[in-house]
Amino acid sequence: MNRIGCITISYKTAPVEIREKAMVSPGDFQDLMSRETELFALNTCNRTEVYWVGMDEGAVLARLAERSGMSVEELGKVSRVHRGRDALNHLFQVASGLDSLVIGEAQILGQVKEAYRTALGDKTTSTFLDKALHRSFRTAKRVRTETDIGRYPVSVASEAVELACRIFGDIARSKVLVVGAGDMANIAAARLKDRGAGSLVIVNRTHSAACTLAGELGGVPRPFEALREELVSCDIVVASTGSPVPIIAKSLMDEVMKARRNRPLIIIDIAVPRDVDPAVSKCYNCYLYDIDALKSIVDRHLTDRQGQAEKAHAIIAQEVDLFEKWVHSLNAQATIRDLFSLLDSYVQDEVKQGGLDGDEAARLEQGMRTSLRRLIHRVVSFLKEHPSLANIEHTRRIFQLDGNYQDRHKG
Amino acid sequence: MTIHAVLLLYLLSGTGFIAYLFWRRPAVIGAGRVLFALSVAAHLVFIASMAADTGRLPVLSPAQGANMTVFLASLMFVFFAFRPSTAVLGAFFLPVAGFVLGLIAPSLAQPGATPPILLRIWYPLHTLSVIGGEALFAVAFVVSGVYLIHDSGIRKGAIHSAAMSLPPLRVLDRILAVTLSLGFVAITAGMIFGALWASSMGVSFSHLAAKAAAGALTWLVFAFSIHQRFAIRWEGRRTALITIIGFTLMVLLFIVLNLAYPNAHGLGLMT
Repeated sequence: MNRIGCITISYKTAPVEIREKAMVSPGDFQDLMSRETELFALNTCNRTEVYWVGMDEGAVLARLAERSGMSVEELGKVSRVHRGRDALNHLFQVASGLDSLVIGEAQILGQVKEAYRTALGDKTTSTFLDKALHRSFRTAKRVRTETDIGRYPVSVASEAVELACRIFGDIARSKVLVVGAGDMANIAAARLKDRGAGSLVIVNRTHSAACTLAGELGGVPRPFEALREELVSCDIVVASTGSPVPIIAKSLMDEVMKARRNRPLIIIDIAVPRDVDPAVSKCYNCYLYDIDALKSIVDRHLTDRQGQAEKAHAIIAQEVDLFEKWVHSLNAQATIRDLFSLLDSYVQDEVKQGGLDGDEAARLEQGMRTSLRRLIHRVVSFLKEHPSLANIEHTRRIFQLDGNYQDRHKG
Repeated sequence: MTIHAVLLLYLLSGTGFIAYLFWRRPAVIGAGRVLFALSVAAHLVFIASMAADTGRLPVLSPAQGANMTVFLASLMFVFFAFRPSTAVLGAFFLPVAGFVLGLIAPSLAQPGATPPILLRIWYPLHTLSVIGGEALFAVAFVVSGVYLIHDSGIRKGAIHSAAMSLPPLRVLDRILAVTLSLGFVAITAGMIFGALWASSMGVSFSHLAAKAAAGALTWLVFAFSIHQRFAIRWEGRRTALITIIGFTLMVLLFIVLNLAYPNAHGLGLMT
């Protein structure tokens, strides 16, 4: 277990100017590696991490410092080093999103998988890191399914989508009206489209901007004069114009809701200053959320995620324990012991099935034991001479010494 | 099969559904569904055994009427339980069903010989229509409660984790509209059959005045609710609120008429 180590330069330890310089690939360390060593590198906008097995820590840090244009001392100030169980714990936390800026975010798992694909291409991982990474994917999956950490959206756009789904259920038949063509409106509308919103209409004072956004999102541009008409027929409104005064007044919404025959309408007002008169929330079946309301929901969800993180840490501790057990089993002596136990149980089973008693049973047992020991002797000698992790792992897999030896293939 | 075994099954399945609100594991809702289906099957066996004992449908006393109402409402909730979007509704219905069954269990025995006056065709038609309508209103009542809870959370943007598996408001509103409409038709038909039965038996209006007034009052509340829902488009919160008021009124009148005035029909055996 002490063979694994990791260095992390993340948003917690370094500003973005440092992080963007510290981007490395496994290929940068090729000349430091041998058949007995392994290495894995992860680069995202929020972190650079290098995991190694069986390598000289000083050499890895020196190479990382060199690639980042820093001295080793400077690197020490903007990074953290984890070793042994702590390094594994950190890997599992990273893959599960517990070390992310937005705790519990799922994007990091995809990034870890992508980095692993790169490492596989560069052939820099082997038995230990392969198993550790597959375990980290499995841990991340457990964290997502056994806790509510990913249940609550933590971005304004996602929250808008979530609220719409709570009201309308399937939004495939919902019509989305985007008022304005700014960045925020673009993000929220794109999120709704991703979640399967039926149709998208964009209304903007500058018609050409509406046409551009409609082209990007696959929507329909409409002139600003069609606002009232579109409000009557849509289900979800995303308002984000640069207007200094509200463009959707209570009197307009009273008329609209009457024309809609009180069909529910959800309005997401993410403009500052607001585009929608706050009094609109008093209209029957009109659900109005402004940017402050959405932000306070998002903040609450972030707090909820923190609460869920405790459960997630417990799952990670369990998984690290399991991995540690596997590592301990990757010991030549333990594997040889397990081989002899397997042989004993095999002989006992055969004698029992033979239905013999007394001397005959003893003779059969002795004969079988001698033959099987002779057969296994070759494997035992080989393991004693070449006790590499790969050989031990292969032996354990061939003889099925671990009940869960296939886990690494399940991810 | 005894009513206590049925009650136990209802409570067990209710526990499963409530547990699912807080611990969303497929195995939990699966167990709840199986137990709920078993509860309804056991309830059917219980009702069938009562019917076999007397040769008549067991709806001859207020307690038996309430028992049949719970059974019919359960049939509808079992249907919801096996649909993914409405599965958790059982968590709100089953405790209420368990409470009602617990309350009426001691009074479910047969109320002696059936008076010949109740054997006329209009009477079973009246009873079954009214009980069917009450069951539909019971479903609407539970769904209304869920609607108001969920709507309030969505408005505040404070959706509790236990409410994350609740059906979307649009689905709840659709169930509410269908159960209210069908319930209203059934209750109206029940009132017409009741009037035909009373007229065929020559029962004077003075004997039925209390029951008729109570029925008319409940009918008016639900008629108002239906009118506002479909004509004025009060879909959602307001319809849910009126439904809760209407059903509560119906239950209160049922209790008052059958307990305080057992002879409300002039016969003492009516639902």
